[in-house]
Amino acid sequence: MTPPLRGQRAPDSAATEAGLVARARAGDVDAFEQVASAHADRLFAVLLRLLGDRSEAEDVAQEVMLRAWQGIARFRGRSSFFTWLYRIAVNEASRALEKRSRRPDSVSLDAVAQQLPADPRDEPFRQAENRELRAALVKALAGLPPPYRTAIVLRDVEGLSTQEAAEIVGISQAAFKSRLHQARLRVRAAIGDAALITAGA
Amino acid sequence: MSHFGRADDHQWSQQHLSHYIEGDLGRRARRRLGRHARDCADCGRGILAMRALVHMIQGLDGLEGVRAPAGIFDRIRAGGAGGERGGAPSAPPKNA
Repeated sequence: MTPPLRGQRAPDSAATEAGLVARARAGDVDAFEQVASAHADRLFAVLLRLLGDRSEAEDVAQEVMLRAWQGIARFRGRSSFFTWLYRIAVNEASRALEKRSRRPDSVSLDAVAQQLPADPRDEPFRQAENRELRAALVKALAGLPPPYRTAIVLRDVEGLSTQEAAEIVGISQAAFKSRLHQARLRVRAAIGDAALITAGA
Repeated sequence: MSHFGRADDHQWSQQHLSHYIEGDLGRRARRRLGRHARDCADCGRGILAMRALVHMIQGLDGLEGVRAPAGIFDRIRAGGAGGERGGAPSAPPKNA
């Protein structure tokens, strides 16, 4: 089982999770909700990052849970429940982004950038500059094609291992590394080396 | 670019900056890129920029403590829980 990260309320142990999954596979909806709840906050944060729109993320999160429930009987446990659930989430987010790209009035992601708080650890005189840079970063991430955005969100934002992220996306680790690199190159180009290096100094 | 390295060092290095900053290269490959970057301003800057970028992305903290919506399981309940299992037109991965 993947160790719990940000805001994740993991079941007490892998055995507990396995037991809940087994009960869910047998049709116990309470067990499904319990095991899925452990990953819900983190999964929702991923959807927010991928979609950049809260109401759309809420809608997709409900869809993810419904699809997971509908498919739980076919889950054989060859990967972790977490990986399996995230794969559904990434698929559903990609589907939503695809739909959105066909809409003429696609949602602007700038609002998310504007909502980001300044890092309280920054010195006051750098906060405005850093906030601007963070906004530019979020905007650059939002402008990435979905597969690239997904790679950065899973690996760099969520901190998943290359192996986990590659498994969720459904490609080899080598292909994932290459995709991640291409994604970072695009963001780097959008922000500019000078701004990045100054911020990192 | 290095005058002493292999002709394709620059292109190869540019393609492996992410691998380099993550410590994801073998010893020889790491030495190859490091040696090239010492002489190549472009690749040297690339390493610094990539490190700063990843650090900044990792520091995106706007969603810390975000909570999943309360109604995240509503559709399951609305569908009668057990009634619709296993038959989704676009089903989740069979096994993962």
